[in-house]
Amino acid sequence: MTSPELVPLLPVQGRILDAQLHLLDRQVLDHDGVPVTTVDDLELSGPALGEEIPQGTPAPVLDALLTGPVLGTRIFGGRPPSSRLIRIHWKDVADVGVVVRLGVGGEGLDASWVERWVRDKIIARIPGGRHDPR
Amino acid sequence: MKRILGVALGILTAIGGFVDIGDLVTNAVVGSRFGLSLVWVVAVGVVGICLFANMSGRVAAASGRATFEVIRERLGPRAGLANLSASFLINLMTVTAEIGGVALALQLASSVHYLLWIPVAAVAVWLVIWRVKFSIMENVTGLLGLTLIVFAVALFLLKPDWGVLAGQALAPAVPAEETAPTYWYYAIALFGAAMTPYEVFFFSSGAVEEGWTVKDLVQSRINVLVGFPLGGLLSVAIAGCAAVVLLPAGISVTSLSQVILPVAEGAGKLGLAFVLVGVVAATFGAALETTLSSGYTLAQFFGWSWGKFRRPVQAARFHLSMIICLLVGIGVLATGVDPVLVTEYSVVFSAIALPLTYLPILIVSNDPQYMGKHVNGRAVNVLALAYLVVILVASVAAIPLMIVTGAGA
Repeated sequence: MTSPELVPLLPVQGRILDAQLHLLDRQVLDHDGVPVTTVDDLELSGPALGEEIPQGTPAPVLDALLTGPVLGTRIFGGRPPSSRLIRIHWKDVADVGVVVRLGVGGEGLDASWVERWVRDKIIARIPGGRHDPR
Repeated sequence: MKRILGVALGILTAIGGFVDIGDLVTNAVVGSRFGLSLVWVVAVGVVGICLFANMSGRVAAASGRATFEVIRERLGPRAGLANLSASFLINLMTVTAEIGGVALALQLASSVHYLLWIPVAAVAVWLVIWRVKFSIMENVTGLLGLTLIVFAVALFLLKPDWGVLAGQALAPAVPAEETAPTYWYYAIALFGAAMTPYEVFFFSSGAVEEGWTVKDLVQSRINVLVGFPLGGLLSVAIAGCAAVVLLPAGISVTSLSQVILPVAEGAGKLGLAFVLVGVVAATFGAALETTLSSGYTLAQFFGWSWGKFRRPVQAARFHLSMIICLLVGIGVLATGVDPVLVTEYSVVFSAIALPLTYLPILIVSNDPQYMGKHVNGRAVNVLALAYLVVILVASVAAIPLMIVTGAGA
């Protein structure tokens, strides 16, 4: 991790997050507290794996939280093509605590398309699907 | 006054909700073959489930996180997925057993073949999950399950030789016609029946469903510490009835009708009516809990929106997964497999899978990041570590004993 060729990021104010400990496999909630997904993997900017790293390259930064099929490749190996990744952009993240909170609603996110599909095609069509239990 | 009522209600539902098809069948089988010589296992199991429910309830209340979210965070995706697969499959087996139990009880009440009752029972379970408010669901099945107290009443009416029963219970010994491996195999089964993992998924997710905060912890602790031991006494009464009526007659339990036979003998037709209501309520309540647990485990692992407090459209995948689980349960039972047999295996597999859920909860309940100042106290940790050993030993010994004894045959 501490390659000497990389220019360290400027020291910034704030918390130090450990990707493994504080981000990966954490529950993601939207701004209303509704679960969206779990952080299945992370996407970092910067040189691809195996590429030559020239002197003075800035250190990679976290671009997005990934979800969806990427969980399978994280467990069993491999990597889906970039076009298949389902991303939650890091700028949408509002807070990282015991859970990761987003500053946006979950409804419009790519990450919730399966939920929307199941809801619109199946659950909403069963009588009583919109009934409020409380 | 309202608070006292709340506590009383919580205790009563904890008692009524303690017994499920696994407890009914395993206790009756054990009673009919070993008398009361395995009662100590019920005590060990009850203390264990109190401890486990206490920790997972506290995790849920202090951090707002349910069991499987925590398991994935702590174990990572690989071990988490392996854990999910095992826990989910065993839970599915328990769903199947509970629905089969409802159907068998309805067959006893109606003389209509149980295979015809299976779709009815499954649809009823789904309807309740689809429509009914969480607290109403919990309270109604729990209170109706209290009618199982008729097992205790029947035990008194049977006028047993209390000295003999006490002797069996206090000086446990392997009966002459049984072998030591069989004795220990059924000890594990009984332990698994008392400490089923789904109870913990359900308990911690239920705490989130009902929006527990740290303030509710006292009440939950009372419910658990009073309700579960009394529920354990019900288990002992079931075993006692079997020990008094079936053991001397040389009948070893293989069907639900034999489980309730001693009640009919001791308490007559009225007792029979009560016990049928109780068995239907207990198995139906457990079918609800296990079906919800299968949805909870999947949704929490994958981070889906879940909970009965949401409209079904707001937790679509959660509801879809439960519908699929119920369909799988119906499919398995439609093959004609004996639900009692499914139950007997499910309790043993529950004991095998127990460490998978117990250990992550034990770790997280000591983690101040989640728990703040509500981490385990020293006494709880000492007891919890002792139980970790017991749980691991039971889990490791279960499969060899299953092979050696031919699954307790």
